[in-house]
Amino acid sequence: MVKTLVSIAITLGLIIGASCFEIYYVKSTFDLLTQVLLTLHDKTEAQTATFEDGTAVRQLWEEKKETLQIWLPHTAIQEVDYQLYEAVGFICVRDYKNALPKLEVVLGMCENIPQAYSLGIENIF
Amino acid sequence: MGLIFIRTVIIFITLLIVMRLMGKRQIGEMQPYELVVTLIISELAGIPMADPSTPLLYGVMAILAVFLLHQIVCLLDLNFKPAKAIVSGVPSVLLNKNGIDDAELKKNSLDVSDLIESLRTEGYFSLDAVDYALYEAEGTFSALPKPNYEQLQNSLPVILVNEGKFDEKNLALTKRDRQYYLDVLKKQGCNKLKRILVMTVDGNGKVYLQEKGTKYKVFDLNWEETLW
Repeated sequence: MVKTLVSIAITLGLIIGASCFEIYYVKSTFDLLTQVLLTLHDKTEAQTATFEDGTAVRQLWEEKKETLQIWLPHTAIQEVDYQLYEAVGFICVRDYKNALPKLEVVLGMCENIPQAYSLGIENIF
Repeated sequence: MGLIFIRTVIIFITLLIVMRLMGKRQIGEMQPYELVVTLIISELAGIPMADPSTPLLYGVMAILAVFLLHQIVCLLDLNFKPAKAIVSGVPSVLLNKNGIDDAELKKNSLDVSDLIESLRTEGYFSLDAVDYALYEAEGTFSALPKPNYEQLQNSLPVILVNEGKFDEKNLALTKRDRQYYLDVLKKQGCNKLKRILVMTVDGNGKVYLQEKGTKYKVFDLNWEETLW
């Protein structure tokens, strides 16, 4: 019985610990990404965004992506990848008109992805 | 991952309830919760393993959730009797010294032929050879035979009447017609065929007869020949 109780306590600890860390990590990572993207969005709107700005955001995403893949399905990450690369591509050629909608999409994803994998009735069922 | 945990808990509990509602017949030598664990654990391990786009941690978390639930159910099973009855069920006494318990039989979604078949697999061919027959919680049969049970089953009994209906194939086997048995039943005080729960006859003419809600009778038809 002691062995069973200990195994229950350890498993429960692991599950709660991992769940809390996942929620915290995913949310904080996407919050950071949102801040960076908002800055890029403002610059793009003002038509002052440069190639360096775009690649800096892309580099940050590349770094965070590796760890995020442990916690999130890769398909969700690939979607962000696709839209962000396109946005940065447009910024590189100073095509701000096409870059803006792409950045809007990425911003929307940064808001939706943590929600889609967080604890909530709508996600459970 | 908290999401995966909660979803696994919901599926586990749902499956457990469904397995308990389906009854012992669906289980077969496992406790209901053990079957539920077996059913879902292979899927949980297989999906993240085969699909590289799903984080492996999802599978690990779901397996941990199943393990946790299994341990909790084991704990309840061993230490809390009322919980054990709810989670694993209780054995049913299908046959006692008065004969077959029709109500218990129906409660377990079984009929007389199922009981006879299960007793045969346990080595008891005649209903009167057994004092008690139990349908265990994990879906297996156990029987307590009478001390002299081997002498009571020297010919294979066949079902003649099952829940008020004649078995025509077995009737032909005995080389006697329906009227012959209706007369036999009348002599035993059974005027309504519908009231008969079971009537078996062996090759020597030994009859096991039980009306619904009454104690069984065993009598001999005094056949001159042995039919099988």
